[in-house]
Amino acid sequence: MSKSFGTEAQRATGLSRRAVLATGAAALATPALTGRVFAQDAVNVGVIMPLSGPNAQFGINSRNGIQLVADEINANGGIKSMGGAPINLVIADATSNPTQAATVAQRMMSQDNVVSVLGAFASSLTLAISEVTERRGVPLLTMSFSDQITDRGFRNVFQIVSVGSQIGAATFDYTRALAEQAGTTLERIAIMYEDTAYGTSQSAGLRSAAAAAGIEVVMDEAYPLGITDVSPLINQLRRSDAQVVFPVSYLNDSLLIVRAMRQQGITIPTVGGAAGYIIPDFRDGLGELADNVLSISPAAYDQAPEYTERFREKFGYFMVHEAQEHAACMGCLHAALESAGKADPDAIREHLQNDVFDQGWATVMTGGKVEFDDKGRNPHASPLMVQWQNGELATVYPKELAKAEVVWNS
Amino acid sequence: MTRQRLLPVLLFAGVIILALIPLGLDPRGYEMRILCITLLFASLGQAWNIVGGLANQISLGHAAYFGIGAYTSTILLKLFSLSPWLGGVIGMILAVAFALLLSLPTARLKGHYYALATLAAGEAIRVIANSWADVTGGPVGISVPYLPDGSLWMMQFSTVLPNYYLFLAALVVICLVFWKIKSGALGYRLRAIKENEQAAEVIGVDTYRSKLIAACVSAAITAFLGTLYAQFQFFFDPDTVFGVATISVKMALIAILGGVGRLSGPLVGAAFIIPMEEMANSYFGSSAAGLSQFAYGAILVLVILLNPHGLTALFAQLRDRFTGKGGSHDRSVA
Repeated sequence: MSKSFGTEAQRATGLSRRAVLATGAAALATPALTGRVFAQDAVNVGVIMPLSGPNAQFGINSRNGIQLVADEINANGGIKSMGGAPINLVIADATSNPTQAATVAQRMMSQDNVVSVLGAFASSLTLAISEVTERRGVPLLTMSFSDQITDRGFRNVFQIVSVGSQIGAATFDYTRALAEQAGTTLERIAIMYEDTAYGTSQSAGLRSAAAAAGIEVVMDEAYPLGITDVSPLINQLRRSDAQVVFPVSYLNDSLLIVRAMRQQGITIPTVGGAAGYIIPDFRDGLGELADNVLSISPAAYDQAPEYTERFREKFGYFMVHEAQEHAACMGCLHAALESAGKADPDAIREHLQNDVFDQGWATVMTGGKVEFDDKGRNPHASPLMVQWQNGELATVYPKELAKAEVVWNS
Repeated sequence: MTRQRLLPVLLFAGVIILALIPLGLDPRGYEMRILCITLLFASLGQAWNIVGGLANQISLGHAAYFGIGAYTSTILLKLFSLSPWLGGVIGMILAVAFALLLSLPTARLKGHYYALATLAAGEAIRVIANSWADVTGGPVGISVPYLPDGSLWMMQFSTVLPNYYLFLAALVVICLVFWKIKSGALGYRLRAIKENEQAAEVIGVDTYRSKLIAACVSAAITAFLGTLYAQFQFFFDPDTVFGVATISVKMALIAILGGVGRLSGPLVGAAFIIPMEEMANSYFGSSAAGLSQFAYGAILVLVILLNPHGLTALFAQLRDRFTGKGGSHDRSVA
């Protein structure tokens, strides 16, 4: 058409502009087309994780856990009640921005017709996604542990782990119980925390728990994130005569702190708060010095080795807790899909709400089963205290779930 | 001259088209959401344009106003079930108060110093929102109470269609305000400040007062957009609404990339940046997550390199080339 009018120059630009437009249109249409091809029989499940930015590693771990379970389901003939329909994971990057996470959720529901969404590790992302899924009536399964997620009376959000306030309280209570078990009464603790939103809120929880239990906080010190010289902190810790130290930090600072403590011969029990304390990088960064460091964890791989070892075989590292919990979410969703027998979000929601999940991957959570109460919380979930022993994490408390004796240097 | 008469017609046609677009789309769908965010950021860019564009006061702290608006209406809604319309107005007042507080000492600063001072002020508010957890919900963030049925008075709807028209109305109003200021006495004063502040003072412009008024208008508008955003997104945390990259820089970026100081600048900037960012995420988000940000950044660099005066100037150049007017173009006309 463009040949019929205009000068040489216009024709040239007209053509190239048309080409650009055509390419753009084709590019725009691509995701829709590929979506259709997969959607023929498969059941689309949305996976929204922070795959870039500061939480990327945790997001990738989570995705790996879900992928493992989905691959197993598909290898075993898909969803039987739906004529062997395979599960197709629609994976997308939530980045670290809640607005973006909500947009991604919207995209999945509009364009990919996902029957359910799994995600998104960080509580702020999960909260933003839940606002979208709730309004569309699509079930959201999560291992983010902020209380707020299931405090808003939403019907379509299911939280598989203990909530944050329970985990916070358990950190302190378990530590005290472990001390008692070792024959010491806890009287003096030290708290050092990074001067960030995360550090401040976590340390506030510890401080109030200590106050409630009548235990003296003999050291209460904030330090700047990315601290380079921790020796003043360690000297203060030594002088404080604390019986237990709670260093609240992500990975890098905790490596520095624990290394400096151990090198200076301070061996008092050290209790971390999940996150960077229970990932392989912690052990890789500290080697033998990681031994005996304790941490709270919402799940532990030694609770269900027959399942979690499959993760290690496939990905080459132990099944970190976020992978395990997300795998359990996928396990519950699988069971709900089997009993619903159709790819309908409402039917799936009903089964998630009412069924007991005690088969397959759902059993890797504490209690060996998952149920969701009216709020969407899992009453069987219980936080665990784990300890680094010979380069592996071992559950040491509560007693009935413990897989190893605690090493307590009082 | 014909361009100036043509412009209102074009804009009016644009508004009509924008008003009709949703009719063909799923009112709860993904495209509607992208359109809403694009309109929101076009408005934000325009609000920034009042200070950043007309007076060349490069502010990197506008997220403070945005966040004040979002938090004020949401907190009042949560605590007292106050309508976001009223909460939004209170947010505007608070934002103006903060703008005054901030401008009194900083309005005399120039260039980099003003940028740095506003940047720091924005960050200070973020820290307050993070630590005042009893009221703001702290770092976890805050949710707007959910009303399944929705209502206009509570500014909550079962689809995003009404949100879309709210954003569109806001954009129209803000563009009118911008146009009014730009073509009025204040606009000339601000432009005099932009060209040469000392000369402006010599001829009798109260530069301090002009900058103060511009800052307050811009702050009030930005705050109300914060309320609209809160009622659209329903959940936000301090890092999002007070974010340097997510709000402050993006507002400036959209205005600058589109064409700073021009009415059409933020419109073009937002229409380009928001969909492009989303497309980058949509393509690379699953396979190579980090690549989407990289692609986005690379395209931005490319555009700025191609034309430092922004996309609208680029369009003007292209048009001039085709209509044979030659390379020169009048930058003072919107």
